[in-house]
Amino acid sequence: MPIHEKSLIRPENLTTHEDLMLDGVDVSGHWSTFIETRVVKDYNESLQDEIAALPGGEQIHRCWQCGSCTNACTVNAINEDFNPRYWIYLIRMGMESELLRDKDIIWQCVSCNKCTYACPRDVFPEGVMKATAHWLERKGHTEKSPSTHFDEVFTEQIVKTGKIEESRTMRRFFSRTGQALAQPWMIEMVKRMLRGLPIGMLTRMGLATLVAPRTNDWSSASAAIQEYIDEQHEKQSQALSLAELVETAKQDVAA
Amino acid sequence: MSKPVLIIGGGPAGLAAAHSFATVGKECVIVEKEDRLGGAPILSGYAKLVPTGEWAKDAIGGMVKRVEDASSVKVITGTKVTNFDGAPGDFTATLSNGDTLEAEAVILCSGFTHFDSVNKPEWGFGTHEDVVTTTQVEQMISSGQGVRCPSDGRKPNRVAILLCVGSRDRQIGREWCSKICCTVSSNIAMEIREELPDCHVYIYYMDIRTFGLYETKYYWKSQEEFKVKYIKARIAEVTSDGEKLIVKGEDTLVKRPITIPFDMVVHAIGMDPNVENPEISDTFGIDLETHGYIDVANRYGSMGATSRPGVYVAGSATGPETIDDSIAQGHATAMAVLSGAQDLKTA
Repeated sequence: MPIHEKSLIRPENLTTHEDLMLDGVDVSGHWSTFIETRVVKDYNESLQDEIAALPGGEQIHRCWQCGSCTNACTVNAINEDFNPRYWIYLIRMGMESELLRDKDIIWQCVSCNKCTYACPRDVFPEGVMKATAHWLERKGHTEKSPSTHFDEVFTEQIVKTGKIEESRTMRRFFSRTGQALAQPWMIEMVKRMLRGLPIGMLTRMGLATLVAPRTNDWSSASAAIQEYIDEQHEKQSQALSLAELVETAKQDVAA
Repeated sequence: MSKPVLIIGGGPAGLAAAHSFATVGKECVIVEKEDRLGGAPILSGYAKLVPTGEWAKDAIGGMVKRVEDASSVKVITGTKVTNFDGAPGDFTATLSNGDTLEAEAVILCSGFTHFDSVNKPEWGFGTHEDVVTTTQVEQMISSGQGVRCPSDGRKPNRVAILLCVGSRDRQIGREWCSKICCTVSSNIAMEIREELPDCHVYIYYMDIRTFGLYETKYYWKSQEEFKVKYIKARIAEVTSDGEKLIVKGEDTLVKRPITIPFDMVVHAIGMDPNVENPEISDTFGIDLETHGYIDVANRYGSMGATSRPGVYVAGSATGPETIDDSIAQGHATAMAVLSGAQDLKTA
């Protein structure tokens, strides 16, 4: 169970020299197997600040590592590698490379918020998980998750029209996540709906698809919301030093 | 009741006892071995005190002035008691200046001694200039100089505070918890962050014992408002790479060894029994408890009783103690002396 000792036997920490002579002795192959040092050399102090700059992560610095979040966690009960307490610690102390090892499971938080209610210090671990998942995406460590795509499609539509038109949301979501619209369950659902000959509903859906209904006088509200979103986005990009990241990447490509 | 009460030591406990006697017009004499009153908070130059945040020179300085201004209190500084004879109500003390004093009773407010960090050489004090003690940081703050690295006067970017230096350590015969260092360290960490907002402060702990109401005001506040970081690790050694101090230990929460560079390392030094306690014990004919503090003979029936009737004790002479509790004990023990509470033994 202890997640900690994993690092001792991580495959990438094992070094074997295929061809090595030491003082005239042939120690090629598994004779020369070494475990890389696992000493923590320094703290990356910006990591906590970066997570704290994203919505949900603001209170991460309060954590005192009691483990209530992990004990309460729905996902941890199924996958013991899903350990919010541990990740919060890695973030707080700035152990970024360790955090990135778990990048493919952090997003699995189901937002049940049991941790939120268990936390004695109001850290809002669920928010921290969300912020961390977004941090991974924005830093380019992970692809956008389906839920992020859904959030974006949903938000874009609201900002644009002030209303949600479900079939449009679905179509765009499927398109952005690279899924076919003709999902088996969707076909089945449509078939069953058609059995009842829902003339009125079909008409409304058809109309909505054609004219995209809007809230009256929405444009100024829309502009204000968009401005706020852009502002926040820019602020977060700065906190995460994303521009510098892009610049470094460009230089790397040029070199 | 005609003879004065003798008070040994002019720190918070002694000043409080003297004030109590002055309030009721009872004569007392403070014998202080240093050249002025105030005890550790004044002599060691503490900065802002727990829990009020008042400057030591104002808070304790006010107590000193109040006692110095009281006509019924006599203050003798730079002097020690070398011999003590007699019985309750009729003691005679011989002083190091040759004088003798008659006394009805005596209260030992002889305090503690700061742990000397050279006794933990692996933590670099005395070897590396930028390894300092909490007392030194208090002085940097109280003098107005600010928190600076002693080696070159620069502002530190990263400070490590090591807790339990000279406390809870069987290796060096100090098994007790010094009680105040966690809170003092949280306080200092916040003061550093306040003066140097770009400076990161890490506290390395075994347990955090910011007891009672200090939890909110120090432990929580230091994290929630000042973003001080607490790492559960007992440091193995402090060395230097020539530029930075290198702190080695194990981060016990991730079970990983750490080798981290710092600009300044602060030892949260504990409270030792007063180094003169063996001498005090001989002179006044009283017992010390196992750790070397003055033994309190009666915990429930009277305040500040020692093993010898008529000889009382108050404050950090009895064990690690906070300033405000020392003050309370000083007042309470004065009350015990006035009421002759020695007769009210529960046993």
